[in-house]
Order: sequence, then C-alpha cells, then structure tokens
Amino acid sequence: MAWRRRLGGVTLAVIGVLLLLLPGAADNYVLYVMTRLFVYVLVALGLNLLTGYAGQVSLGHAAFFAIGAYTAAVLAERWHWPAPLCLLAAALFTALVGYLLGLPCLRLSGLYLAMATLGFTLIVQEMLLQLAVLTHGSEGMKVAPASVLGLSINTDVRKYYLLLVVTAAMLAFARNLVRGRLGRAFLAIRDNERAAAAMGVNLAQYKTIAFALSALYTGLAGALSAFIVGFLDPQEFSFFLSIQFITIVILGGVASLLGSVLGACFLIFLPELLAGLDVWQALVYGLIMVVTILFMPFGLSGALRRYAFRWFGMGAEPIIPRRLGH
Amino acid sequence: MTEILSSQVVSGLATGCVYALIALGFVLIFKATDVVNFAQGEFVMVSGFISYTLLIGLGIHYGLVLLATIVLSGVMGVVLERVVVRPIMDAPIFSIVIATIGASIVLRSSAGILYGYDVLPLPTIFSKDPIRVGFVQFTAMDAGVIGFSLVIMVALYLFFKLTRTGTAMRATAQSQTAARLMGVSVTRIFSLTWAISAAIGGVAGVLIAPIIYLDPNLGFIGVKAFAGAILGGFGSIPGAIVGGMLLGVIENLSGYFFNAGIKQVSTYILLILVLVIRPAGLFGAAPIRKV
Repeated sequence: MAWRRRLGGVTLAVIGVLLLLLPGAADNYVLYVMTRLFVYVLVALGLNLLTGYAGQVSLGHAAFFAIGAYTAAVLAERWHWPAPLCLLAAALFTALVGYLLGLPCLRLSGLYLAMATLGFTLIVQEMLLQLAVLTHGSEGMKVAPASVLGLSINTDVRKYYLLLVVTAAMLAFARNLVRGRLGRAFLAIRDNERAAAAMGVNLAQYKTIAFALSALYTGLAGALSAFIVGFLDPQEFSFFLSIQFITIVILGGVASLLGSVLGACFLIFLPELLAGLDVWQALVYGLIMVVTILFMPFGLSGALRRYAFRWFGMGAEPIIPRRLGH
Repeated sequence: MTEILSSQVVSGLATGCVYALIALGFVLIFKATDVVNFAQGEFVMVSGFISYTLLIGLGIHYGLVLLATIVLSGVMGVVLERVVVRPIMDAPIFSIVIATIGASIVLRSSAGILYGYDVLPLPTIFSKDPIRVGFVQFTAMDAGVIGFSLVIMVALYLFFKLTRTGTAMRATAQSQTAARLMGVSVTRIFSLTWAISAAIGGVAGVLIAPIIYLDPNLGFIGVKAFAGAILGGFGSIPGAIVGGMLLGVIENLSGYFFNAGIKQVSTYILLILVLVIRPAGLFGAAPIRKV
C-alpha cells in the first residue's frame, strides 16, 4: 500500500505547483483573496499553537494582529525602516508583548483566560485610538507598499508571491515545532498539567513560550497585512476579529496544522462565494457554520482524518480531548 | 456633587441588574450543562423585538406582552438547545461554543432582515422623571428595573430551594450521573435550564431595550454580562449577580470621571486586575485539579 503513504506528499506537491502557477490563470481579485487567505493562515497557525496544542484559549489575537500591523506601519512611516526590518521588528515586538501578556495569564485557564485576553483586545483597540500621535487615532493610517531587495511589492502578483513564500516557510517551521520537543511539551500541558510537570515540563516557561510564539505568528501576519492592504483602520481590530480567529481554529480542527489551513479557507472563501446573496449572506453563513459544526464536531481536519481512516484505512482514528485546558 | 454621583450609582445599578440577569443565564446553563452559550445576548435582542412587535404591531397590553415575551423566549431557548447543542453534547466544549456563535450570527442577521438596522424605540411603563429620596436622585425607570430584577432573582432562588424540579436541577449541576441514578431525567433538566436562561434573557431584553436601544446588535450586551459573570466567578450564582451589578456601577462611574473611550475599557482593565489577584473571580472556587 505504498500509494497511501505517498498520497500526502503528492497532494502537497500538486497543491504547491498549482499555487505557484495560479497568478498566470487568475485575475487580480482572486489573487487578493488568496493573499488575505495566507494572512489568516498565518494567524490560525499561531493561534493553533497556543490554543490547539498548548490548550490556552485566547481571544486576544486581534490585539496581537493590531500590534504587529501598527508596529510595522509606524516604523516605516516615522523612521523609514526598510520593509523586511519592519516585518522582523513587528514580529519580534509582538512576540515580546505576547510573552509579557503570558506572565499574568499563567494563573488563568479556560474561560477566565478567554475573558482576560478578550479584555486585552478591547484595551489595545482603545489604545490605538488614544495614542493618536503614533497611530493617527480614528482617522486610520496609510501604509506605503513594502519594498524587498529593491523590488517594490505594489502589484497583486508580487504581494501574492511574497505571502506565499512567507506562509509556506512559517508552515514548515510550525510543522517542525509541533513534531519536536516543544510541540510534545505543549500537548502534555494541554492534556494534563500535573503529569506534564511531573515529567519535567516547566509549565510557566512553556506556557509563556507558547504565548510568545503565537504572538510572533500573529504579529507577522498583522505586519504583512498592513503592507498589503495599505491602510489601517482601528475599527477592524475589534473583538469580532478575535472571535473570527478562534472560529477558524475550532472549525478547522484543533491541534492540526492542516486544520488551520482548512479553517482559514472556510472563513475567507465562504463569504466570497455567498457575496451574491446580499442581505441573506450573514444568515446563510451562520447556518453553514452551525451545520458544519453539527456534522463535523472535531473540525474539518478531524472529519477528514476520521473518514480517511474509516474508508481508506489511512492514519489513525483521531482522538480529540473534550476539554481544552482545565 | 453627591446628587450627581448618587444618581450615577443608581442608574449604574439599574444597568448592572440587567447585566446580572443575563449573566445568570450564562451561569445557569454552564452549571447544568458545562456549555458556554454565546447566543445568550441574542435572547435579549430577540425578546426585545418580540415585545416590540406585540406592543407596537399588535397593540397588546404591556403586562400580557411581558408574559408572552417570557414564554416565547423560553421556547426559543429550548429549540436552540434541541437543534444546535444537544446533537453535539459529546463534542469538545469549544465546538459547542462555536455552534452557539453560529446560532447567534443566524439570529442577528434574521433580525436584521426582518426589522432593518435602524434603532427602534421600545416603550416602557416606567417614567423617566427624576425622583428624590433624601439626597439620592433617580428615575422611576431605574427603580423599576432594579425592583423587577430583584423580584426575578428572589423567585429563582425560591424555585431552586423549595421546588422538586429546582432540587433536581441543583442535583444535575452537582453530578449528572448521580442525578440520573436518582431518577432525574437529565435531558429534561437541560431543556428546562435553557428555557429558564432564555426567559431571564427575555426579561432582561424588555428591561434594557428602552434604556439603551433596540437594534439587531443589542445582543452584544452579552459580552458585558459575560465579563460580569467572570468578574463574579463563572459558575457562581451570587457571583453572577454581584459581578453584573458591580460592572454596571463601575462602568457608569468611570463614564462620569473619564471620557467615553475610557468608560468602555475601564471595566476590562479592572477585570484583568481582579483575575490576576483572584484567578477564579470574586466568588468562584479555585478549580479542583484532577490528576
């Protein structure tokens, strides 16, 4: 049954080639939607590391996204830093904020953690409005196109390729992380904190690392999104965005990188497909969301893995814990 | 100075009572079924529209409208539990939460399609004229909202304490297995819990809609009530009541002392501080960590 083992690799290669060739076949709008998809995939990867793997529920990722976006935009506008440096600085700064937020959150879990991080989102959004000296407050902020190695990223095709490369690299990085020491420590913490601690996992250290890593991904996504969209509106970074992010992770499938990608596809493509429905769009979207969860309570990737096992005998029946965290 | 301040406290207490009612709905469902219902705020919004339709559209008497709204809201809670939550009771908790978020999107957009997104005026029987007692100044509406909320809370307390069904509900919250062994129909208790939570949300809707506004986004008041429940300690009924009231008063006072932007976030800053000191809220018991 060699084909079964190779199926995953072949599928990945085919998708990779298709994505590389897409700009030849698609119009600019499709490319723009794909670029947004990549941004959401990055966020979902980061949030899944924290929520899916380490079991720490966060509704604070809209804030991380905003911090990444505004850091890059302010550095580029005020101090004229080159774009790659802006991206790097934004990702690292957001990681630092994530680490610092992780410290008080060490004592919290489950719903309390969700509420505290939700509060963080609302506070950061208000700060964007109050710190008008840097952020231009409610007027929003223009961001000039990035230029990488002398090449201005100002067309949809170039933006698409930039995001494709970064997302693929970060996906590979996340895959290595979750398969290594760190990923196993995260899963151990999620499944049973005491057992993990008894096995020598330093809870405080790994939880704050999870926060920092998750914030790094989300900050990078925010910074990239700032350069792509070219305009930052503080209204966008509301708690809705945080809810959207967590929806991607749960609908896609917790503790699954494939799930993050599938969830992001669901959330980005579905509204595009329903765009013709006018006022009915939100209603149909909500209905599809409910029905999807009813039929696939373990998310899209959970369903995929379950049926791959039941019908084709591939992989193993997925086991997903009922509770995230404690 | 004291007059303004005291009237701020009383009107904050009135909004806080409504937060407390909604928070009670969250906590009741969570205690009985382990589910966090993110459509709780939508019960408030939908019942607001139900009573608007009955009052303005059909011209029914206010008392009857209140009764009908409570009943219809309860029915909505039962239907939501049957259709959206019960089929996936074995799924991870967060899948159920996402299902209720999906349901709230459906309810909100349905209300938007039916009634549009303009703010509608919902009449109330309470007047907004100021009343003075000593140096405390408040409106009849504030007093009415506070009084009505307290009546509901006491009625609930008596129901849980004195009736057979109430005892069965408390038993289910403690241990579903033990309750089932004692002959309690746990599924019926689940339905009843959702009905009661939604009905309380319905009362909250009738009370709050005349004070703030009535439009499809009224449901977002659920976020504040959720914050109140967390502040008090999620899973604690006194916690939900005190947390909700505290939130209303703090919000109003910070609106008096600071600008509107700070008013919105002050409660969350306080909430985070409280959680850092008491990770399970004011009244919440520290979670028992099973090995």
